[in-house]
Formats: sequence, structure tokens, C-alpha cells
Amino acid sequence: MSFVHLHVHSQYSFLDGASSIDKLLQKAVVLDMPALAITDHNRLTGAIRFYVKAKALGIKPIVGAEIDLEGGYHLTLLCKNVEGYSNLCQLLTKAHLSNRNSKPRATKEMLQEHNKGLIALSGCAKGEIPTLISKGDTKKAHIVASEYKDIFGSDFHIELIRYRSREWNPILHTLSSFASEEGIPTVATNNVHYAEYEDYKVKELLNAIQQNTPVYNLRGNRTADQYLKPSKEMERLFRDFKHALRATEEIAAKCNLELELNKPRFPKFQLPTNETDFSYLSKLANSGLFKKYNPVSTQITKRLGYELETIKKLGFCSYFLAVWDIVRWAQKRNIRCQARGSAVDSLVVYALDISNVDPIEYNLLFERFMHPLRKEPPDIDIDIDRRRRDEVRDYIYEKYGSENVACVGTINTYMARGAIRDAGKALGLPQAVIEESVKGIHWLSASKLMDAADKLPELKNNPIYRQSELKQFFALCASIDRFPKHMSVHLGGLLIGDGKLSKLVPLEWPSGGDIISQYDKDDIERLGIVKLDLLSLPTLTVIEDTIKSIKRGHGIDVDIDRIPRDDPEVFAMLRDGKTLGTFQLESPAQREMAGRLLPDSFEDIIASISLVRPGPLKSNMDKLYLPRRHGTRSVAYLHPSLKNALEETLGVILYQEQVLKVAHDLAGMTYAQADGFRRAMTHDRTKEEMENMRGSFIEGALKNKVSKSIASEVFEQLSAFAAYGFCKAHAAAYANVSYQTLWLKYHYPAEFFAAVLSNQPMGYYPPRVLVAEAKRSGVTILPPDINRSFDFFSVENGAIRISLAQIKGMSEGALISIQATKKNGDFTSLRDFMSRTEVSRPITENLIRVGAFDRFGSRNHLLMQFSDIFTNKQRSMKGAKQLLEHDEPEANSPFEQPNAEARIAERDLLSIDLSSHPLDHYINDRDITQMKDLPSLKIGAKIKLVGGVIRYQTPPTRNGNRVVYIIMEDGTGIADVTVFNNVQEACGEVLFREPWLVVTGKIQKRGPKATSVIAESVRGFGQHFHK
Amino acid sequence: MSKLINEPITVHLIKDLQITAFIWRKRLYRVTEAFDWWREPSEWWEGDAIPLFIRVNAKNASIGTYELCKLDDKWFLSRVLD
Repeated sequence: MSFVHLHVHSQYSFLDGASSIDKLLQKAVVLDMPALAITDHNRLTGAIRFYVKAKALGIKPIVGAEIDLEGGYHLTLLCKNVEGYSNLCQLLTKAHLSNRNSKPRATKEMLQEHNKGLIALSGCAKGEIPTLISKGDTKKAHIVASEYKDIFGSDFHIELIRYRSREWNPILHTLSSFASEEGIPTVATNNVHYAEYEDYKVKELLNAIQQNTPVYNLRGNRTADQYLKPSKEMERLFRDFKHALRATEEIAAKCNLELELNKPRFPKFQLPTNETDFSYLSKLANSGLFKKYNPVSTQITKRLGYELETIKKLGFCSYFLAVWDIVRWAQKRNIRCQARGSAVDSLVVYALDISNVDPIEYNLLFERFMHPLRKEPPDIDIDIDRRRRDEVRDYIYEKYGSENVACVGTINTYMARGAIRDAGKALGLPQAVIEESVKGIHWLSASKLMDAADKLPELKNNPIYRQSELKQFFALCASIDRFPKHMSVHLGGLLIGDGKLSKLVPLEWPSGGDIISQYDKDDIERLGIVKLDLLSLPTLTVIEDTIKSIKRGHGIDVDIDRIPRDDPEVFAMLRDGKTLGTFQLESPAQREMAGRLLPDSFEDIIASISLVRPGPLKSNMDKLYLPRRHGTRSVAYLHPSLKNALEETLGVILYQEQVLKVAHDLAGMTYAQADGFRRAMTHDRTKEEMENMRGSFIEGALKNKVSKSIASEVFEQLSAFAAYGFCKAHAAAYANVSYQTLWLKYHYPAEFFAAVLSNQPMGYYPPRVLVAEAKRSGVTILPPDINRSFDFFSVENGAIRISLAQIKGMSEGALISIQATKKNGDFTSLRDFMSRTEVSRPITENLIRVGAFDRFGSRNHLLMQFSDIFTNKQRSMKGAKQLLEHDEPEANSPFEQPNAEARIAERDLLSIDLSSHPLDHYINDRDITQMKDLPSLKIGAKIKLVGGVIRYQTPPTRNGNRVVYIIMEDGTGIADVTVFNNVQEACGEVLFREPWLVVTGKIQKRGPKATSVIAESVRGFGQHFHK
Repeated sequence: MSKLINEPITVHLIKDLQITAFIWRKRLYRVTEAFDWWREPSEWWEGDAIPLFIRVNAKNASIGTYELCKLDDKWFLSRVLD
């Protein structure tokens, strides 16, 4: 006899299961278990990956869940087959969706409706029958047992759980007798919550986090016995209940769920009469082609035909039509949207107007996107104007029905900071200890914390990590690394089912937002459900806002999709690194690349976007490409047949599409085979797999009369670059938006920056840095003005007026009240404002402090007056109305220059340095180099900078040594500071901690216009000036 | 009925947890049968190890039932059962 565990919680029983699926399965393999169940609380989040992994290990997966019923009772459900799986999905969905802000609860009616294909076990001690038996309410237990028998028939079992303890389970025999009285079979389970008994600590820790209570106050009986016990141990434990042991095998034999994975599932598109999805898609694509090209060459027509045939063959015509329909709907409503990613490789996508990048012009390859050998469904990602994304989403819900659409769920897991905070609280650590422990942690997994505390300079000098009494605490934090906490909405993913979605995917409410799937995007893909990524892209909102603002201010209609792509002034600005606020080109790495690459064409932007990625930089692609781009190294091809693929990038493999072309041109692979080859190259592969690939590549090349040595060398290059090359289609789509933002920034800086500032948060830099950049671009910044400012940054005679929404604490209600009141006439005084609006006292006070009422007098005077008026207003509300009405308005005072206090208020309340910068006083020190002067300094020049930290970056490096990049600003400009290992050692105490730094170092130039600073010392600002 | 003892003992083992005898208060008890065991959750947050309890029948002058406890590497006689 082989015992089968039928009641098992994994880490996907959020904050209750203490072992990963891998750990449970590994132990099941060691214990030679033929089958294993997964029964997480109220969810199937781990079920698909469990199913796939178990099968791969030769273990029969039994999928189920322990659900909560009305009254808080538990019930264990197992799927016998696909029908049972579908019913469990629907049951879980109903239990979740009918209880939005509380725990999911299934009703008996729901169980009755979805009973087919399911086996029910009476649950743990919280099961309805065990609870009633414990309470001694046998009469009610009999009634309830009848109900379960009615619902599940012979597929209902009484679960017998026996933990080893001094006083074994006292009700076990009572339960067993009850079961035989009722004629219900029993089954032995262990209510497993972890693989090994030592992990009970992890479970208790998780439970304490879940219950928001210190671990020593946990409710309920404690046990260390809920581990995955070997069959022999279970047999010994239940030696007096042999039938209950046998039942585990019998139930396992009944559970034969076979999920059809990787089968594309997408709804049928509603077609016009007499059309098939293929005929309609072909018609639309062909008609689009004639709008895009004139004349349409045979080559183009042939390619379109080939793409359409492939789409048809793979069964995705409906999917393409659905995406076309959504994009068309949005475009008709002037909602900016466009495809990104490898979909841009497709001519059909371009012809349908889903993308605006011409794949012919940019030499893009359809097979990088889809081909007959690819198993995964194609993924067309759409970027949408952030402000209007919900309109598009609503359209999809309306078109396909709310039961057929849901958002993709994403699983939020523990990293070091979260683990320290939550575990620290659960263990009752003082808040100061918790704060000190997270200080200096940037982006770190909890399991690497102690390793990092030994190595990273900002952590290793912190004695907290070496305190012996905290050793166990940090080990516990590591033990919950990557454990799921909760689910939330994936940024853009929408699922559209080919029927009621909940028949295949359990759904639930996230803590905020639309209904989500209990599966994450990987499992959704495994299930074959085609997801549509509708991504909010604030840059598209910025473009739209800028265009509207240009129209308002200049009366010019800018057709942004038809601006010249060779504007020399725009490229000059890019080469100078003046790109703050633009899309994809504003990061320090991109600014540096611009200074090295010196772009002067749209293709250069595509190359720049592709080069500044961890992979290409780690593999030194830039060092190969840039000398060729500047003509300092000759362009050579290992074989003439490589010229076709690599000419555009001067012989360097830069794009993924080129890997396909090289494999095709040199080794004679089809593009589909070549994409398979590329994908294989990007994944970890064994030596044997690698040798097989090399063999077939060389064999193909030999047939094309390429010598073995050249074929071998090309293969080496491909294997080095295949994993790092970037998808050119994606880069081209991004480059398009990047160029548009560059163009708008150069020609209409006020309108552009006003739009960027109005759409925060977005991009790399905070508002104060963007405002400083706008000033450097020659734009005047006007303070907020109660009569002139709106709820967005507006353009006023070529200057930017600060938005009222920028003021700290401003509420949407206050903004509406102010805007609505102004329609009846400008405010004439503070008193007038306060009498006509319902704006709260703190907001009004902030408005005064940032100068929004400066037109009515000095801020100090207004603050005094405000206090009086406010008191009177309160009195008037109590009946002394005349005080407000009859009080004379004060005479206007001349505008008073803001004093130091006002400047502080501006920074605190606006996050903008309006009148002056906090460092103005210091940067005039003759020792200090102003950041605006950095580009004019020579290589190696010694400098000292003082500045505020904008952000830190620690990108991966080729040799694995960590390099810290600090982006700083001082009001005159920004500086990109590189801190190498040796300096990090000496400044560990300030890195990632101090907001203001003093850096000494020397100038580095990695290109004609790529200036940065190599730090020799980094100190805290206070530390420096107090010495 | 049981009597709480909690006194250190010396245990004779042939394998990992196979107890043949123990010495309590200088007297030898030969284990005739080990018939039950369990672990009890500890106050692990205080650094306490998880105790392992083993219930045995052992013979001195007469046969009795004893509850032995292993904590870290130390053994205790936890209880004597009537």
C-alpha cells in the first residue's frame, strides 16, 4: 500500500504554507511518493506550475483547494477530471467575487451547483463536521453530513487527521464512529503545511504576519507535525484506521485530471456576413497595405500573403482581428495607442495600423514575432495614453462581456526589505531595530541578505547584521524570501476568454482594481489563454497634451506621425545629452551613449536603445559597434553571405532579428528554425545541447560552401550575442516615440515640459529636476497663482505656470471647487477666495505659503490675515455671517520677494526649487565645481561636487563587481557619478542613505560628448561642511 | 496520572534514537519498549530548540512508563506515568 497525501498546502496558501512547490515535490521524490495533492486555501495560484512540475518528476498531480464556507468552515476539494477542475474554478470565483472586501466564502448552493467532478474531504479541525463533533453537537453534525452526502454522494469523505502529541487527537475515534454511522468513508490526511518539521517556525511566522500579531500571541493549537510525512510514518500513525489509509490510494486513483496546456484559446471575432476570419483579416490587411505603400511592390504583397497564411495556419486570425478592432476603436476616439515588442516585426500589424513602424523600411523580420514552430501564442502589446487606457479597457469588457474578461494577476512576493519589516513586526522587534536593518538595503532578495551584509560597503559596516541575538531573525527573513504575500493587478495584461473565463481560470478581487486571475502571466500562457497587454504609457499622454497645448498657444496642428525624422537641431540636442524628460533617452546610460555614439539618424536612436541594455553592455557590444560607427575601425565580414544580415550594423550582431538572418543566410536554416535556434541559445543549455546546435549549424553552413573554421567562428559569435541582442522591432517602436518627444522638446520646450510635469510620476527625474532642465532650455517658470494656475502645468506666454495640483496636500475636491468658482470670476482677495470656496484650512495655508496668493499681498501678511478670516468664517457658520460680508478687503501690498522661509516652503510643498536652489549658497564656493561646467572640463580634471541625490543605480556588470552610479543635481545641472568598489568601501555609511553628497573625483569622457565623474571620495553633505 | 520530573538523565543509545537504557538518580532503567514519540513546538523566537519526547516502558525494580525528552543534545526525564 502506498499512502498519498491529499491535503497539502504550499506557499500559495498565502502566509500559511511554509514550503515551496519545488521543496514539497523534491521531498515527494525522495519519499518515492506516486502522487501528491495541492490544496491551497481558496486558490489555485500554484496549481498549474505544480501540475507541470509534478508530471515532469513522474509524480501524479492531484489538483484541489481547501475552501472556506459560510460560517468560516473549511472543506477540502480535489479535482477528479477537467469537469471538476472547471467547477472548482467557478466555485472559487464565486466564493471570491461575492465577498469583495472580506474572506472568500462558498455557500452550499454554490457547492451543489458545482459538485460534479469533485471529491470533497471534510477538512481540518475547522471543517464543519469536525467542529460540530468537537462541540458535542452530534445532532447537527448528522444533518450537515446529510447535506454533504446529498451534494457529493459517495465522493464525500470524513478526513481523519492525527498529529503526534501528548494527548493525540481526542475526537478522532468519535469522528470515525460518526462516519461509519453515516456510512461515509474516512480518509487519512496530515493537513500538510511544510515539507520538513523544522519549517513549522516559518509557518508560525507567516501566520503571525497574516494575523498582524506577535508570534507569541498566535491563536490556535500549535503543532510541529504538519510536515510531509513518509508513507511508513502515516501508516504507523493510522495503524488503527487502515481503511482511512487505503482510501488515500483509492481517491488518488479517481483523480485523473488531464489539463490541455499550451492550446491557444481566444474568442471568435464577430465577422461581417459571408466572411471568415481569414478572409476578413486578409481584406483589412490588403486594404491597409495600399494606404501605407504606393506603389505596393510584389515583394511586399508576397510578404503580406506569407504572414497571413502563417497567422491562419496557427489559428490566430481572430486574435489579430480583435486587436485591430480595439486599436481602431481607440484611434477613432483619438486615443493614442501603438504596438510595441516583437509584434512590430509584422507587416500585417503595420497594415492594420496597430503599429506605425514600417517593417519593410526598417528591415524587420516576421519570424521573430511568430512562426509555425513556435509553441507560445503571439503577444501583441499595445501602449496606450495613460489617461485614457481605462476607456479602452471598458470597451473590451463591453464588447466581450464582463464574464469573459479579466485582468492578469501578479503575485507579490517578499524581498529583503519587506521580509525584515514584516518578520520584525511579527517577532516584536523594536521599530528602531527594524529601521536600522532596512537602512541601506537597495534592491535585494532576502536570501542574499547575509551574503550582502558581508560584502556590500553600505551594509558591512552596520553592526546590526553581526549581532548574535539577531542571527536567527535574519535567517528567518531569508526563509521567507520570494514567498507570496498577496496578489495584485498585472500592469497591462487583460485576458479574454473563449467563453466564460471562470470555467478555466479562478478569479478574485485584488486589494484595489479590477477582477484578476488567480494565475500569473506564466501560468496563463501555459493554459493557452491569449492575453492582451494594454500598457499605460504616460509618454503618449505627454505627446497628446503637448500637441493640444501647441494648438492652443500657437494655433499650429502638429501631425506628430509625420514630423521630419532628420531634424539636425533635434539630433544636436540629443548628442549634447539634453534629453531629460524624453522617452527612453533620458537615463544617464542613454545620455552617455548619445555622447559616445553621436547619433544623427533615426537608425542611430534604434541602435542606442538596443545598446543600452544590460546584455549588450555586459557583452561589450558597444565597444565593437562604436568604433565602426565612427569609422575608426574597418567593417569586415567573416563571410560575404553575412553582409546582407549585418550591413546595417556594420558587421556587429546587435539585433535578435539578425541572429535569425545569419542562421538563415549562412547555415541555410528556415527563419522559423533560426528563431528556435536563437531561443535555444538564450536559455541555459547543457554542453551536449550546445554541441548538437553547433553540429547542425556547421553542417548547414558546409552545405552552403562555407568553410568549417568560418562556420565555427560565426557560431561562437552567435552564441555570445544571441542572448544579448535586442529585438529591433521593439527598439524601433520605442525610437519612434523617443524621437517624437525629442522633437517636441526641442521645438516647443514650454509646452513639452508643462505636459511632462503635469503627468508625473513618470520617467527618471522628479519635478524639481525637470523644472531646472526646463529653465536651462530657456523656459520661464511662473509660481502658482490662484487666478492663473490650473490643475495642470499650463503655458502662459511661453512660460510654464505651476499647477495647483503640485501643491502638497491638494485634494481633488479642492481643485474642483477652485476651478468651478473661478468660472464665475477671478478671486479678488484671500477673503474672497475663502468665502467663495470650500477649501480646507491646511490646503489654503499651503496655497499661501507657496505664493499662490502673492498677487494679494505678502505671504506673512496673508498668513496672519488667513488666521483671522478663518476664525471669522467659523463664527459666521455659527450665525455671525455679517462678519465675513462686511469685512473690508485689505489693500494690495506690493509683491514681496520670497525669503528663506518661503524658499523652504516651495521645496517642501511644491517639490520644486522655484526662487532658488538650496545649494546656491554652497556652489559658489571656489572649491566646488558647478555641474553645468562639467562638459567643458578635460579628461582627468580634478573636481569637487556638491549635490542632491536623484537616484542610485547598480546595473549588472560583466565581471560581476558592483558599480554604483549616482545621479546628482545642484540646480545648475546634473552629474553622473561612478563609484567603483574601492571607493564604495570607504563611503559605505553614506551610500543609499544621505540625500545630499559631496563628491571628489575626476572627469571621465567615454566619448566626445560623454562626460561623467569617477568618484574618489563620497561624503555626506553635513559631514563635509562640519569638518 | 503522571508526575512531572524534568531532571537530567544519561541515555544509552544503540542508534540515533534507539534507547536501550537510561540512568536517573544514579539508577539504571532498561528500556523494554519505546511506543510513542512526538515533538512539541517551542518558543523558537526565544532561541529554544524543539523538544522531542519519547514514551518508553522501562524496567528497574519493576516496569514503569516514562516520558523522556531530548532538547538539543541533552536528555531529561520529563514525566513518570502511572
